[in-house]
Amino acid sequence: MAQNRPQEVNVYSGRHYNTDKQLYSEFTRRTGIKVNLLEGKDDELIQRLKSEGNNSKADLLVLVDAARIYRAQEANLFRSIRSAELNKDVPANLRDPKGQWFALTRRARPVMVNPAIVKPGLIRSYSDLSRPELKGKLCLRNRASVYNQSLTADELVRRGKPATRQWLQGMLANTKRPFFTSDTPMLRDVGQGECGAAVANQYYLARMLQDKNSTERSTAAKLKVVWPNPTHVNISAGGVTRSSRNPEGAQRLLEFLVSPQSGEGYAAANNEYPLKGWGNNPTLKAFGTFKASPVSMEQLGRRNREAVQLMTQAGWE
Amino acid sequence: MTPSTIQCAPGQGQGAPAQGPGAPEQGPGRSSSRTWLLLVVILASGLALLPLLTLVKDVLINRGESRLELGFDDLRQVRGTLLLVAGEGLLGAVVGTAIGWLTAVCRFPGRRWLRIAQLVPMAFPAYLLAASLIDWGSYRGLRIHGLGWAIVLLTLANYSYVFLLSTESFSVSGRRLLEASRSLGVGPWRSFFRVALPIALPSIGAGIALSAMEVVNDLGAVRLLGVPSLSAGILDRWQVDGDPQGAALLSLVALAIVAVLIASERQLRQRSRRWNLEGGTGSAHVWHLAGWRAALAQLFCVLPPLIAVAIPALWIQQGWQGLQSESFAELGQLASRSLGLALIATAVTCLGSLLLAICRRWSPQPLVQQLSFIAGLGYAIPGSVLALGLIMLGGPLGFSPVLLLLWGYGDRFIAVSKQALDAALERIPPSIDETATSLGCDWLAVLRRIHLPLLRGPLLVGSLLVFVDVVKELPITLALRPFDFDTLAVRVFQYASDERVGAAMAPAVMIMAFGLLAALALVPTLEQRD
Repeated sequence: MAQNRPQEVNVYSGRHYNTDKQLYSEFTRRTGIKVNLLEGKDDELIQRLKSEGNNSKADLLVLVDAARIYRAQEANLFRSIRSAELNKDVPANLRDPKGQWFALTRRARPVMVNPAIVKPGLIRSYSDLSRPELKGKLCLRNRASVYNQSLTADELVRRGKPATRQWLQGMLANTKRPFFTSDTPMLRDVGQGECGAAVANQYYLARMLQDKNSTERSTAAKLKVVWPNPTHVNISAGGVTRSSRNPEGAQRLLEFLVSPQSGEGYAAANNEYPLKGWGNNPTLKAFGTFKASPVSMEQLGRRNREAVQLMTQAGWE
Repeated sequence: MTPSTIQCAPGQGQGAPAQGPGAPEQGPGRSSSRTWLLLVVILASGLALLPLLTLVKDVLINRGESRLELGFDDLRQVRGTLLLVAGEGLLGAVVGTAIGWLTAVCRFPGRRWLRIAQLVPMAFPAYLLAASLIDWGSYRGLRIHGLGWAIVLLTLANYSYVFLLSTESFSVSGRRLLEASRSLGVGPWRSFFRVALPIALPSIGAGIALSAMEVVNDLGAVRLLGVPSLSAGILDRWQVDGDPQGAALLSLVALAIVAVLIASERQLRQRSRRWNLEGGTGSAHVWHLAGWRAALAQLFCVLPPLIAVAIPALWIQQGWQGLQSESFAELGQLASRSLGLALIATAVTCLGSLLLAICRRWSPQPLVQQLSFIAGLGYAIPGSVLALGLIMLGGPLGFSPVLLLLWGYGDRFIAVSKQALDAALERIPPSIDETATSLGCDWLAVLRRIHLPLLRGPLLVGSLLVFVDVVKELPITLALRPFDFDTLAVRVFQYASDERVGAAMAPAVMIMAFGLLAALALVPTLEQRD
C-alpha cells in the first residue's frame, strides 16, 4: 500500500450531482486524501466491478436503490467494516447488519394527486390505489423502474403475497396506459389534468417546483403530496469494495459522508431526506412529514425478484 | 517475366470475374506483399472477435441458473426490434434514396443548400432527439411514446447513411447509361427505376444495413419511448437479472438479425453488380424541375433536416431558463476528451477498414472474404456487450482503459467505413487492377495510384461517419472510461437519465455542434460531385 504517496480513494458512484463533487473536495481538503470519481448507471457499475474482480481500482461503491445494493452484496462486491461512527450515524434498518453497506440519503415515494380530479383524502395507503374511484385516473411508471419494484417489494414484505397480488391487479386496472418511462413527464400530466394521481419520488416534484421555468413551476404547484401510511422509503448507500486497496481511506470517506453535517449537504443536492429527521430543505418541509415503512432495505433487496415476478404476472409492462 | 515483376493472369476479361467482387488474379504467383495483407486481415478479424470469444468463454465456464429459452418478454423484445428495423429500414430507404436522387440528378432552386442540409441530422443522436421531444411534448400535454414515434425518430437520426451512400452513387455512376436512357426518350421516373436505382442498389443496401444496425443497437431512444427491444433486453438480462447466459442468448438473436441484414445486402450487391468508372467529370445531364415539381422537391428535401433541427431547438428554447452549466473549464475538458477520442479512433478505424477492403479485393479466397466479413461484425454486437467482453479481456492483462476504449470503438465502427469503401471499390472495374498489375504494379502501387484517388470521397465519408458515431457513442464509453474521464455523451446521458434537463443541455449542444462541424467537412465532397 502506498504509505508515502498521497492517499487516494477511488469512488464508483451511481449518483451524478455536482454538489457531491464539492463534498468530495471538502473531504480532500480536510484529510488530504484525493478522491477519484467514476460516475455511471448503477447496474453498469456493479457489472463493471464484477468483471474487474480483484483488479478493480474502486474502493467505494455508491449506489441508488435497495435492490441494486442487495444485488451488489449478493455478487460479493463489498467487504464488512466496523465503525462506531457509522453505526451511530446510520439507523439500523438503513444499514447492512454485517457492515457491508450504509445508507447515505433517504428518498420517499408518495402519491401525488391533482386535487381537481382526485380527492386527496381518498388515499390513505398504497392499497387505496386499487379503489374503483381511481379507474382511468392513475398514472404509473413502467415495471423497469427500480423504484416501483422496491415499492412492490415493500408491500410484499408487509402484506404477503396474496394481498400484494390483489393490490397489483386492482391498481393496474385503474392505470392509464401506456406506462411512463420517466417521472417528470408523468407529473406534468398530473398537473395538466391528464392523470389524477401518480406515484413518484419526492425529489422529482421538488425539482419541478424549484425550476426556473414558470410554466413548470405552476404545473408542479397544482400537485398535492399525499403520504400513504406507511410510506415506502428507499436509499442511496455506499460500501467499501472487497477489492479495495485503500479500505481505511474509503471508510473515512464513508464516515465523512454520513456525518450529520455533510449528510445534509449530500441529501440536499437532490432534494432528498437525510438519514435522520427531515432536514432543512424548505421545499421538502412544505410537503409535510410521513411515517416511514418499517421494512428494512435488506428485505427490499431480498424480495425484489419475487416482486418483479408478481408485477409481470399482473400485467405491469 | 522476371521474378521481380508481379505475375498476373491478364487473360481474364471484365465479363468473367470468377468469384469475389474483384478477382484480378487467382494464379499461384502471389507476391509476398500480399501475405502481408493476409496477415492484416487475420489480425483485424482476430482483434474484432477476441472480445466476443472471451465473453462466450466466460459464459460457458460460469454457468449459472439461467433460462436458455426465450420467454414472453424476450419474444416481445425480438418482435420490437424486428418492427423497428423493418419500419426504419423502409422509411429510411425511401427518404434517403429519394433525397439522394433529387439532389444529385435534378435541378431546382436551393438544391445545393438542401443537399448540404441533409448532413445536419447526422449530428443529432437518436437518444437526444427522443429525450428532447418527449420533454418538449409533455409540457404541452402531448404524449410522445411507442413504436411509431420510435420509427420516425430513428429514421430521422439515421436516414443520412442512405442519403450519403446513394447520392454518391447517383452522381458518380451510370451517368452515361442515364444519358443513353434519356436520349431514348425514357422519362425521369422510369430512368430512375430502370437505370439509376439498380446501379445504386449496392450503395443503398449498404446504407440501409448501416442504419439498421444502428437501430438494433439503439438503447436510449427505445427505452425512453417505451418500445421493448433486444438491446434493452440484453442489458437487463445481464445486469439486472444477473443472467449472462440469457444475455448471450439474446445477443445471438441480435447477431442473427444483423447477419441476415448483411447477407441480404450482399445478395443485393451480387445481383446488381455493375462496374462503372465514369467519374463525376462527364458532362452532367440533369432534369430541371420547375413550378410545383420544384416546390415539392424542395419540401421533401427540407422537411427531415428541418424537423431534426426543430426538435432540439424547441426544447432548448423552452428550457434555456433552467440551463445549469458546468464551469467552462469542465465543459472544455469534456469536449476535448470527446474530440481527442473521436479523432484517434477515426484514424485507427479508417486505416484498418481501408486495409481490409483492399485485401478483400486482392484475395478472392473464401477464407479472406469470410475473415473480412467477420471483422465487420463488431458493429452488430451491442456496445454494452462488447464492452463487457473487453473488460474481461483487458482487466486481467492490465490494459489501459483508454486503449480498451479505442479497441472497442474500432471494433464497433470499422464496419461503418468499410461498408462505404467496399461499395465504392465494387464500382471500380477489376480490369483496371488487372491492367495495372500486368504493367508491374503491386497492390501498394495500385492502391496509391489508382484506388486511393478514386476512394478519396468514400474514405472521407466513412471517416466522418465514424467520427460522428464516436462522439455520440454511449455504451462502450460508459463502460470502459477510466476514473475522471467523462465525455460529453456520458454527461448528457447521466443528466438525462436523472431527468435533469437543464443540466444536460450544455453538453448536448456541444455534441450537436461537433456533429455539425463534421457534417460541414463533407460539403466539399458533395460539391465536387456536382
